[in-house]
Amino acid sequence: MITEEFEPMTDTVEEEASVEACTKCTACNTVCPVARSTDIFRGPKALGPDAERFRSPQEAAVTPGLDLCSGCKLCEVTCPSQVSIQEYIRRAQNKGAREKGRSLRDWVLGRTRLLGKLGSMTAPLANFGNSNPLFRVLMERFVGIHRRRPLPKYQWLTFERWFKRHPRPTKSRRKVAYFYGCWVNYNDRRLGERAVAILERNGIEVVVPHQQCCGIPAVVNSNMDLARRYGQQNVRNLTPVAEEMDIVASSTSCGLMLKHDYGHLLDIPGSERLGAKTYDIMEYLWMLHEAGELDTDFQTVPMRLLYHAPCHLKSHGIGYPAMRLLRLIPGVNLEEVDEGCCGISGTFGVKVEKYDLSMKIGSRLFEAVKAAGSDYVLADCETCRMQVEHGAGATSAHPLEILARAYGHG
Amino acid sequence: MKTDVAVIGTGLSALAAARTIQQSGRQVVLVWPGLSSLYFLFATVDVLGYPTADATEPVADPGGAVARLIAREPTHPYARAGIDAVQASARLMLEWFKEAGLVWEGALNRNFLLPTATGTPKPCCLAPASMTAGDLSRPEPIVFCGFTGYQDFAPELAASNLKRQWSAADVSAVRVTAPGYGPDRLFTSIDLARSFEDASFRDAVAAQLRERLSGDTVRVGVPGVLGLTTPNETFAAFQRAVGRPIFEIPTVPPSVIALRLFDRLRKHLQEAGIEIIWAAPAHAAEVTDGRCRSILLKAAGHELPVEAAAYVVALEDWVDGAFRAGVHTVRDPFFHQAIAWNKVPTDRTAESLFSTQPFEQVGYALTDRLQPADEKGRPLAENVFCAGGAMAGYDPTGTKSRGGMAIATGYRAAREALAA
Repeated sequence: MITEEFEPMTDTVEEEASVEACTKCTACNTVCPVARSTDIFRGPKALGPDAERFRSPQEAAVTPGLDLCSGCKLCEVTCPSQVSIQEYIRRAQNKGAREKGRSLRDWVLGRTRLLGKLGSMTAPLANFGNSNPLFRVLMERFVGIHRRRPLPKYQWLTFERWFKRHPRPTKSRRKVAYFYGCWVNYNDRRLGERAVAILERNGIEVVVPHQQCCGIPAVVNSNMDLARRYGQQNVRNLTPVAEEMDIVASSTSCGLMLKHDYGHLLDIPGSERLGAKTYDIMEYLWMLHEAGELDTDFQTVPMRLLYHAPCHLKSHGIGYPAMRLLRLIPGVNLEEVDEGCCGISGTFGVKVEKYDLSMKIGSRLFEAVKAAGSDYVLADCETCRMQVEHGAGATSAHPLEILARAYGHG
Repeated sequence: MKTDVAVIGTGLSALAAARTIQQSGRQVVLVWPGLSSLYFLFATVDVLGYPTADATEPVADPGGAVARLIAREPTHPYARAGIDAVQASARLMLEWFKEAGLVWEGALNRNFLLPTATGTPKPCCLAPASMTAGDLSRPEPIVFCGFTGYQDFAPELAASNLKRQWSAADVSAVRVTAPGYGPDRLFTSIDLARSFEDASFRDAVAAQLRERLSGDTVRVGVPGVLGLTTPNETFAAFQRAVGRPIFEIPTVPPSVIALRLFDRLRKHLQEAGIEIIWAAPAHAAEVTDGRCRSILLKAAGHELPVEAAAYVVALEDWVDGAFRAGVHTVRDPFFHQAIAWNKVPTDRTAESLFSTQPFEQVGYALTDRLQPADEKGRPLAENVFCAGGAMAGYDPTGTKSRGGMAIATGYRAAREALAA
């Protein structure tokens, strides 16, 4: 029914959904893991688009309960109208913190790289303190970190320093840059070693460019200015790299920051070019497979595996590439535990006032994991893995570990 | 990524299409831009409630009435889907519900007449068993039960409306309190549904209700909040505790009855190994030589191409962003065709909220194989098939046919996609 009367190109069609696109359907409230677990949280609809209509830059941020949003983004994944619900909440949360000031705890938790530097430099001591009950009581009292929350172990040899000594492959088909993130650098070098080994096995030379914390810990601790500073440093350092090669990240939330949040939440100019070249490492390996370039000469891995999809992975909009990849491995018995958010949401479940809530959110997942039984519970996100180990007493791993095993790396 | 068939959408038609493809043994990926209205609005599968949008006498035999509609209107989407698809899809869904542990009732040769939350009798063909005791062809008196402080169901309103519209007219209303829901707490059906899974909460409500009921023959209509993850057990336990037949009434969003259905079917598909790509709206189709080679999803940071042998576009017209309305034109997200235009944009809506809305009729023109078509009736791409709300030229609201149309076209589009 196109007529000559109107020139279609002159008709404006709004592409980005605004707060006006919210139809009040409440789909977001029904999936919110926090709203499901406590009746004092008013839910993403009320704190996001509803309250947003009454917020103005000149006025103080007053919506109570904002700090109960854990930042999982499931509201945005669910929204039929693609409203950036969580971004409204984050901005208001951040504005409130700027006006009222932040606690020492939130100041520290937003600086993962600083914590990592201190932790790895004093690794034996830091690890002793972090697992010492008396020290943990003091930490809860004076800092506000819950005493029962296991904290990650720091390692003396960082990934950065390991990689400097790592011999480069003699020949390669192409190069890829690795955004390893604070977790791999200070807490889990082994995962980074596995990532490098798997990429090199497939004829890809790994480059490790200079990088800063992705900024997500700062975002979720209401310090978007700090996150923006980190993000700007990464955009400056990594954009020239991205002109020459793809960038892969092995942490779900780091990857999402680079891909999406630098541009959308933090408004960092020019970040789109970096985002367009960033891939989750499992997404990247699946692309290799579809291009016929992945070495699928796998050893049998006779294991019972459960897969927990991190909430932020859903926001990537790429499906579950880890499940697709692992199903290529002979012997693997893989099943998804589809019980929603694990509850930890980065540093959320570490805090003394949020710990119980975080465990309640994850309780469905813990029960399902215990009932199903497995050799490993797999999750792409490191804090999901910590939470599943703590809550369900299971052994967890990044999906890369299974792939490495199939390639014969013990 | 690559797959045999990509289904774009999250509603009933998308689920029916995915199930059809899964049963054929071919690989299917579901692409979800966000959740559809099925997730929070839906309750029953209405095949045909009224023969036309302005008819007042409900259809008694929906299967037969659809056959007559097809004979009368050969370009109606039901006619394009065909009577075989109507029958096969009803079988498909009832078998699937059973396999997934959902207890549903109904058959194509009869309609239930179930009261809505406002007390209107509504014809529907397939319904959860927890709703069917409300059927108005049964003579027992009805007591509507609401909860103090719960704003989404007013039993007095339902009772007074139904009294005027139902010949038996023996209707009354009671309100009971929901333990733990004080006057300053705002709550929705979801909160109540979670509470109802707790035996002590359930028993406390049942005890109040027993006290207020007189007469052994009455049946009790309650808002659809009897359990979210264990509805079968919750319903049975509550009915036992009250000692009268209970029926649920779907509420305004969020509809717990819809959530149960959707979550269970989604999980069932995922358990069968079907992948869902969340949060990735499709925004372009790459078409060469009359075939769609890929659709591009807006993933975080970049476009994700999905390459499939065939595609089922099962989006709802407006709810999940299938169509983008400008001032004068409405465009689809795949082919960027102007599928409707208005000289005056307000022509898209009718003056009265309760009349047939012109915007409901906007959608893809179709070929006989449910392919989206251009203005000359040629397919926009020979391997793309359309199902559900994105089809032009029918009024699902007025004729109460949204669910039946969704499953019939979802099934037929999937069969076509498998053959393409």
